[in-house]
Amino acid sequence: MIEVNDVHKSFGKVPAVRGVTFALEPGQVAGLLGPNGAGKTTTIRMIAGFLSPDQGSVRIQGYDTLDQPLHARRRLGYLPEAAPLYTDMRVEEYLHYRGKLFQMDRRTRMAAVSRVVDRCWLTDVRKRRISKLSKGFKQRVGLASALLHNPPALILDEPTNGLDPSQMRETRRLIRELSVDRTMLISTHILSEVERLCDRALIVAGGVLLADGSPSGLVASAQASAMYIIQVHRTKPGDDARVYKMWQSLPFVVDVQPDQPDRSSLLTGWSLWMLTARPGAPDLRESIANAAYQAGLLVRELKRESATLERVFLSLIEGSESTRDLAARETQAQHEEAEKRADANEASLRTSRDLVTRDLVSNAEEGNR
Amino acid sequence: MRAPLLSTAGTIAARELGSYFRSPAGWIILALYLFLTGIIFALSTLSPGSIASLRDVFAVSGWLLLPIAPAITMRLIADELKSGTIEPLLAAPVSSAALVLGKFAGAFGFMAALFVPTVAHAAILFNISDPKPDFGPILAGYLCLMLVGSMYLSIGLLASCVTNNSTLAFMTSFFAILAFLFAGAGAQFVPEALTSPLLSLAIGPRIGDFSRGVIDTSHIAFFVSLSALCLLLCVCVMEWRRWR
Repeated sequence: MIEVNDVHKSFGKVPAVRGVTFALEPGQVAGLLGPNGAGKTTTIRMIAGFLSPDQGSVRIQGYDTLDQPLHARRRLGYLPEAAPLYTDMRVEEYLHYRGKLFQMDRRTRMAAVSRVVDRCWLTDVRKRRISKLSKGFKQRVGLASALLHNPPALILDEPTNGLDPSQMRETRRLIRELSVDRTMLISTHILSEVERLCDRALIVAGGVLLADGSPSGLVASAQASAMYIIQVHRTKPGDDARVYKMWQSLPFVVDVQPDQPDRSSLLTGWSLWMLTARPGAPDLRESIANAAYQAGLLVRELKRESATLERVFLSLIEGSESTRDLAARETQAQHEEAEKRADANEASLRTSRDLVTRDLVSNAEEGNR
Repeated sequence: MRAPLLSTAGTIAARELGSYFRSPAGWIILALYLFLTGIIFALSTLSPGSIASLRDVFAVSGWLLLPIAPAITMRLIADELKSGTIEPLLAAPVSSAALVLGKFAGAFGFMAALFVPTVAHAAILFNISDPKPDFGPILAGYLCLMLVGSMYLSIGLLASCVTNNSTLAFMTSFFAILAFLFAGAGAQFVPEALTSPLLSLAIGPRIGDFSRGVIDTSHIAFFVSLSALCLLLCVCVMEWRRWR
């Protein structure tokens, strides 16, 4: 239904999209995920025909957006970010105008306007001027105009951006209803939205497609490197080094990080640890609990953190060279300013944790000697 | 593709025309134009001993339309670019040619609406003057208004295509039109080689001919071809925006 084949797009010397390829089957709902500046909107604009790719091709129901642009656009509904509308028009008037642009005759247009007004819950505001509507209603008008010609494919760019929680819930409900009989591509940076609405997730960063799969499939693949959180009670000051060594000696554990519990827990002698298991390791909760028991440690909490799409997303984004490349292309001034801010924030956030880690490592070394 | 091009352009033109009358700016432009033409008509034609013609009104039309045409066109595409409404518009089956043609036709329709009330001036002239004025120069004058207006609007539309700032679009088109108005006067200050091309671009003498009732096809061709050139450039700019 939507075929994106090796598309590239640069703005001046800055590449925005680099070789993105995917195909959406009829009825599929895909979420295009990525941080700000990842190339989501540029990709979507190329699919919608608003921008032309420098290289590669986009096909909508077999029609190339460059060779047969008008045919391709007739088969696509598009809701741009922030739903830009002619605010001087009334809701119904605007929808009729959009219908005329899609060459709908009067009878078809009347029926279509009535259908989308009903479907997008706009009946009460159909005669109202768009400038007088709330942001949520404006979003619905944008969605109604995208649905007017009953397109088999629908593209929504940040459909819940800037909406309040109740408006978000309503918009999601509407999207879920619409997804029953059409192919949809939803661009968002809200991960929970993809988990709730989409049966496929496309993760982009730095203009490159980093992952493509079902949200549950991506999460399952990340389960291979599970994380365990354990909170134990320190009986004496030197205990942290001993505990640290003990966790490290456990089979399948590849990384141990001390974390900071809440202030009251810290003062009363509780310490929090995050243990990362080797990919493919079995459930380690029993061996961790047993090790704590053998060491005479009182355990207050032990949980295996189930992998989420957020973790998959973050690990992909942080590990992506493309993100770093893109950042390197930022202007020097912006770069320096961002670095300064990041350094200051990081320093203030990590001070306490670093102190704990340094203390643990030095104690461990002393113990070794 | 001819029928969809024209019907799409018609749809866009109708929306644009409606939007002028929905906004206070449209009514202010209308009032300003009628006020200025009314003043000129009263001073030049209604004063005792004046010739029974609208010649003076049409002769200054080039200057009268100088602030009016950029005010009409400044927001046509610049506002769409700024507000983002251009995105759903170009994602619909709308070609760049249909978009430009529709925007131009909408602006032209509004400009024609500005001229309609001035027919009252001709009616007054026919009622109060004896002998009655010649009908030909008045028709030639209205043809002149349409042609000069088209050229100004197409320059303004081009300025509106290249920026998303409507004030900048106004200023750009204002000074571009001013350059055409001063081209004749400026010809004496340039090297001899440039005199002829500059004189051929001057619009003052052409408007003068029309206001005297002279309909010269070369003048018509000049205004029509310049308007068409600007509209073609608009289409190129809109296509370039997709490829940039």
